[in-house]
Amino acid sequence: MIIYVTTIAVLLLLAPLLLSFIKSLKMVLLFKRPSSLLQGYRNFSKLMKKETIISQETSSITTYAPFLVLSPLLVTMFFLPPVVHGAFYVSFVDAFTITGLLSLSTFFLMLLGLDSASAFGGMGSSREAFISALVEPAMVLTVFSVSMMAGDLGIGQAGVNLAEHFPKEHMASFLFAGISFFILLIAENGRIPVDNPETHLELTMVHEAMILDLSGVYLAIIETAASVKFVIFASLFVSLFIPLGLQYSAPVAILIFIAKLFGVAVAVALLEVNTAKLRLFKVPNLLGISIVFAFLSLITFYVLGA
Amino acid sequence: MLELLFLPALIIFGLSFIKSRKTHKPLAFISFFILIPTAELLRLPKPFHLLGDYLVVDDLNAYVLFVSSIVGIGVALALMTLDKHVEVSKNAYRRFYRFFAIFWVGLIFSILSNHMGIYWIGLELATLSTVYMIKTNHSNAAHKEAWNYMIVGAIAISLILFGIILIYASAKPILGEDAMNFNLLLAHAKEIKSPFLFEIGFAVVSVGMFVKMGFFPMNLWLANIERASFYPVAALFSGILESAVIIGFFRFSKIAMEVNYDHLFTFVFIYTVLTIFIVSFLIFRTKDFMRLFSLSGVEHMALIALFWVSGGTFAALLHFGAHAFLKPALFLSTGVLESNGKYRIAGALRGYKGKKGTLFWFLVSLFLLAVISLPPSPMFFSEIYGFGAMINVAKHGYHLLAMMAAILILLILLSIIFYKFIEVYQSMKYEGEVHSKKVYASELFSLVIFAFALIALIMPPVMNYLKGIL
Amino acid sequence: MVDFFIGLFLASLITALFTTRLYRLLMWYSFNSFTLGVLALLIGMKLQDNAMLITGIATILIKAVGIPYFLKSFSQKFHFVRQITPEIKVQYAIMLIPAILVFTFYLAEPITNMIANNSNYVAISISSLFLSLLLMMEHKNVAPKIIGFLSMENSLFLLGITATDGMPMLVELGIFFDLLMAIIVINLLFHREEMKNA
Repeated sequence: MIIYVTTIAVLLLLAPLLLSFIKSLKMVLLFKRPSSLLQGYRNFSKLMKKETIISQETSSITTYAPFLVLSPLLVTMFFLPPVVHGAFYVSFVDAFTITGLLSLSTFFLMLLGLDSASAFGGMGSSREAFISALVEPAMVLTVFSVSMMAGDLGIGQAGVNLAEHFPKEHMASFLFAGISFFILLIAENGRIPVDNPETHLELTMVHEAMILDLSGVYLAIIETAASVKFVIFASLFVSLFIPLGLQYSAPVAILIFIAKLFGVAVAVALLEVNTAKLRLFKVPNLLGISIVFAFLSLITFYVLGA
Repeated sequence: MLELLFLPALIIFGLSFIKSRKTHKPLAFISFFILIPTAELLRLPKPFHLLGDYLVVDDLNAYVLFVSSIVGIGVALALMTLDKHVEVSKNAYRRFYRFFAIFWVGLIFSILSNHMGIYWIGLELATLSTVYMIKTNHSNAAHKEAWNYMIVGAIAISLILFGIILIYASAKPILGEDAMNFNLLLAHAKEIKSPFLFEIGFAVVSVGMFVKMGFFPMNLWLANIERASFYPVAALFSGILESAVIIGFFRFSKIAMEVNYDHLFTFVFIYTVLTIFIVSFLIFRTKDFMRLFSLSGVEHMALIALFWVSGGTFAALLHFGAHAFLKPALFLSTGVLESNGKYRIAGALRGYKGKKGTLFWFLVSLFLLAVISLPPSPMFFSEIYGFGAMINVAKHGYHLLAMMAAILILLILLSIIFYKFIEVYQSMKYEGEVHSKKVYASELFSLVIFAFALIALIMPPVMNYLKGIL
Repeated sequence: MVDFFIGLFLASLITALFTTRLYRLLMWYSFNSFTLGVLALLIGMKLQDNAMLITGIATILIKAVGIPYFLKSFSQKFHFVRQITPEIKVQYAIMLIPAILVFTFYLAEPITNMIANNSNYVAISISSLFLSLLLMMEHKNVAPKIIGFLSMENSLFLLGITATDGMPMLVELGIFFDLLMAIIVINLLFHREEMKNA
């Protein structure tokens, strides 16, 4: 139980650091002077201190929505597979629940964007709806296929099973699921081929457009939610597709886990530096690849058993 | 012996690098040297191991090789005057010779091989070199069709390889690495443990071959390519390339007969009858020589395949020989008839004066009437024997009436083609205006060779030789 | 481990189907051939088959390095169109590709029952054969069609090494020879085209 709580706390604390890490790594790769690794925490504390201004046009949704964006994500944190062998975990939560919780959070984010009645907010929400409509089927398929390989529909149990019996005989379908999930990780967190988190250019924004009207505490909450979402996806990816190193003692295992998370962050940063942002109408191509791979993973598993 | 076989092609290949214009004449005569080894192979006791177990000569491929060599000589003769009939640059002309040589080498390998792999390699080599021969014509259509041939030919060839791999996989458990050997495969066909795998492989191989020969559903692609390219290409296609393809079909289907005769017969029967059905109406609609002859070539190949699987070996081989002589002859004379872009059918045979001219139009009308199997033509005999073989097959089963009906339908379809050819011939001879036209000695010589070869086919000794081939 | 590479093989082929840039396509082809070469090496080591080891190395050298390099230099020499948009729209491709895969997997099932070892790989190589055909079909430009032809060769090679535990050495070398011949012919075809435009 202690390890369970500690892991969640560590992940929460780590969340802003990971995003700042990606940002500074990208700056290094682009030969810029990197920003501090602690920039995420600094932004948070600065925003907490700032005055919160709410547009006159908004309804009460704007005051609730940031919390409703963050809370499903926080709940999801509790359902993640364990990082240490023998630790406490919630075993019964399956692909549909996780996807549902994540899309609940997305739903309130879209509502928030619409509520301020600004042109950008509506545009951002519609784009987000467009992307997440394509993400969800792929996500369900992928996680489902991995849990089938692991022999249990619950994600927590699946993570444990994968760590104990790595599915060597299903390597091909495992690989397909991994590719699919990595694309989802990129798309759902608004990283570069799909959305650029750094720009405020109205033609390209998705995520930023929705939160353009927020300030102060609310903005801090939404940014935290974004970083928590990245951590959730990264740790799901890590514990489902790189299930190694769970058998060591708790501190070592957690350190290995964090190292793997940073590995994912490095991969994302490298991808971001090496690709240009896709046009919005090309995004379905990328997500289409993801859906194809998810489906392929399922049928390879079922028909061929490979 | 092996060196002698490849010598003419290699000399042509080498001489094609010399820039002088004078090399064309010796090239045609060099091609005659191929007759020495092929005739020798015909005479030698069979099976003759030319190169270990890889190249083995038996009665069947010695005959096919001889036929294709005569076609090669005829085409090499006609090539001498290619530039008189069509516009061709000097470089392209030399390249044509070079790729003709590569093509020839590949097909000699294919025809003589006793090994599925070598058979495939030779066929692929020939296919790739044909692409360039099509491209020697500097028109947009030819360029497009060259790519077309590259792509479709590559798909067909890949299908054949795919099937070969499946067949190899089916036979490897009993034969090991020798499972590629045609003779061994034939001898052990009954022992193949997974006949289904073999049959799938055979079906894929034959679909690949059928695509290459222009069977249903790819009826028009060969016709388009032959239309767009120079006329010797069409002659090479029908005379040599299709010989190599059909000998592969003979060998594969021989093995398939051992595995499951009924499946083989049904498959090929449906495929060929469908092809002839479609082709006969396509022929009825054609408006130029090349497409007409090309489609009629498809029809004859379908008949040969049908006769072969019906057990009419003799009929199939006779038909094959007649087709292999007639079609290149017709294609070569098409080049003369359509000289310098005159594509009209009406009056095409008029205006040939003098001894050469008279001989030319006489030969062309002879070929035209022979190709629709008017009685003295070898095709007449082969069709009678072939249909006889089909009825013989049906006698053993319970489908005699169905077979009779099928033959009747085939005869109706053939008579459509007959009608069209007669109409074309009448239009060529009796309609249109008279222009004075020219024909060159070398082409005439090659046509005469073809005519003599055709007559030789119906001579009793040749017939006996063909009957001796199993 | 073999499973992993066979997955990569199919994955790179599927990604190639969605590619809209020529150089990217070449890169995926090269990656595809590289995984094929590694597969040949792995299976060859398992079977202790020296011929397959040699063909594996030859595959990596010729198909993964040589041919992509030559095609790239052709494309620079003859100014290919480098933006290659598939004719089949992405939304249809998303439905078509899984349909092809399901179809071929079930089609291959009776075949795989008859092959003792590596039966799954046969299904995957047959489906990659169909996918390469799709790659040829979905492009109008010549260059991607060539890539489709070459990847068809790759999938046949995969079928050869998995279904039959390796074909005879002679045949493998002959296939390589024909491949080089194909490259020469392609070069000549483009050459003519350029001469005419000039």
